[in-house]
Amino acid sequence: MDALASYTGLEFAKWVLAPGKWTASRVSSFWDRYVYFVGLREENDSLRATLAEAAQELALLRERAAEAERLARLLTIRPPVGWSRQGARVISHRLGPNASLETVLLDKGALDGLMVNTPVTGPDGVIGRVLRLSPTAATVLLVTDPNSRIPVTSQKNRTQGILKGEGANREMAVQYVSLGAPLEEGELLVTSGLEEIFPKGLPVARVTEVGRKGPSLFQTVYAEPLFDARRLEEVALLAKDPEGRDGAGPVPGEAMAEPQDQKPGADPVTHTPSPRVIPPDPSGRAPGLEPPRPAAAPAGERRKPARSGP
Amino acid sequence: MNIPAILFWSLFTVAGIWLQGAIPGVDFLAPGLVLCLQEEKWTVSAWLGLAWLFIQEGTGSLAFGTGLLWYGALVGLYYFGHWLFEAKNFLFMFILGLSLGVLHLVLSHVMAVLQDWTLPADRVLVEGLLQALIFPVEWGLIYLIYNHLPENSHAV
Repeated sequence: MDALASYTGLEFAKWVLAPGKWTASRVSSFWDRYVYFVGLREENDSLRATLAEAAQELALLRERAAEAERLARLLTIRPPVGWSRQGARVISHRLGPNASLETVLLDKGALDGLMVNTPVTGPDGVIGRVLRLSPTAATVLLVTDPNSRIPVTSQKNRTQGILKGEGANREMAVQYVSLGAPLEEGELLVTSGLEEIFPKGLPVARVTEVGRKGPSLFQTVYAEPLFDARRLEEVALLAKDPEGRDGAGPVPGEAMAEPQDQKPGADPVTHTPSPRVIPPDPSGRAPGLEPPRPAAAPAGERRKPARSGP
Repeated sequence: MNIPAILFWSLFTVAGIWLQGAIPGVDFLAPGLVLCLQEEKWTVSAWLGLAWLFIQEGTGSLAFGTGLLWYGALVGLYYFGHWLFEAKNFLFMFILGLSLGVLHLVLSHVMAVLQDWTLPADRVLVEGLLQALIFPVEWGLIYLIYNHLPENSHAV
């Protein structure tokens, strides 16, 4: 009887209990996994949020590092003797239907000591000059505008010419270069200072092509600017020091001095070079800037302007 | 002008200036002037037109008077077309946009010649095309938004 009870009652009880135990075990396991996954999900969400914050912070820090690098390059500009410098940010490029010239808008204006024709430079060379002013903003005419003309001298051979813009993303033309005048491709063009706006010796462009076309009495010369207008973010403004002191020290944010020989009534776009002749710089080195780097945009991207002899 | 309208025109002006920075050579405020002439009192149009005129003249590089001719011609074209078309007709706005595109070419060229300047013709042409395309689209958009202002619920 005892054996029978074992073989029946015990077996029955086992078959009753076992599925329950199996179910309980499964449910328990499922619950544990569910709780675990919920925890995992929460942890995952938390980690994702942390990662997003870190990525945002990283992007911000990278932006600041890039800005610091740009500003550091800007601070390498050593103003020529008798000139002071202050920095400014580019807040916009051409703005509105009447913005016909190649211009940028700066966050500094008349209250910061700027005047019409104040020279504007970047780490690599001349960018342009102030065209219009408001109390806290200024419009800068870029040297690449077709209405900009700057008397320049080649740094090595001291050949003179007039650098004329041909528009955005186009190479500039160097006009009135005599047929016999020596000029090499790759040679740097610096301001001659004859127009009495820019200090003498600031790099402006690099010669890309020297040739002769037709019966013209002048060479056909093209040059690329030393900056990319689309990437301009910070610039330096130069002003003549009224006391004539050495302007080598950086003066960020300091109000600029009023240029002594500024002609308020002068046309800010076109100007005639003064007949005063300045002898070439014997050192052959630009006094204001460090050796310029190549322009940010590859030369291949720039279009050649329409060929027309000067 | 009530608070929603003041808010609308203020936001429109700010957005217009930002868009003008993004797409140079195009007037994003002109459709607002036409909408203002259609919907607001003439005094509101005059004040807004004056404010936008100074914005365009100040940010531009051409001699003062270009903006005056630009907005003057726009108002003249609007009132002239008003006799021929329904003022809020999209076709009228499309023709007005085309006229502004052509006007941009003519005005830029004339002012450049008067100031003895050189302008890249291809760039001015592209700007005129963009102006002609953007004007009716922007007008349609701000027309919808303006008529969804709380005070204009009857117009929805």
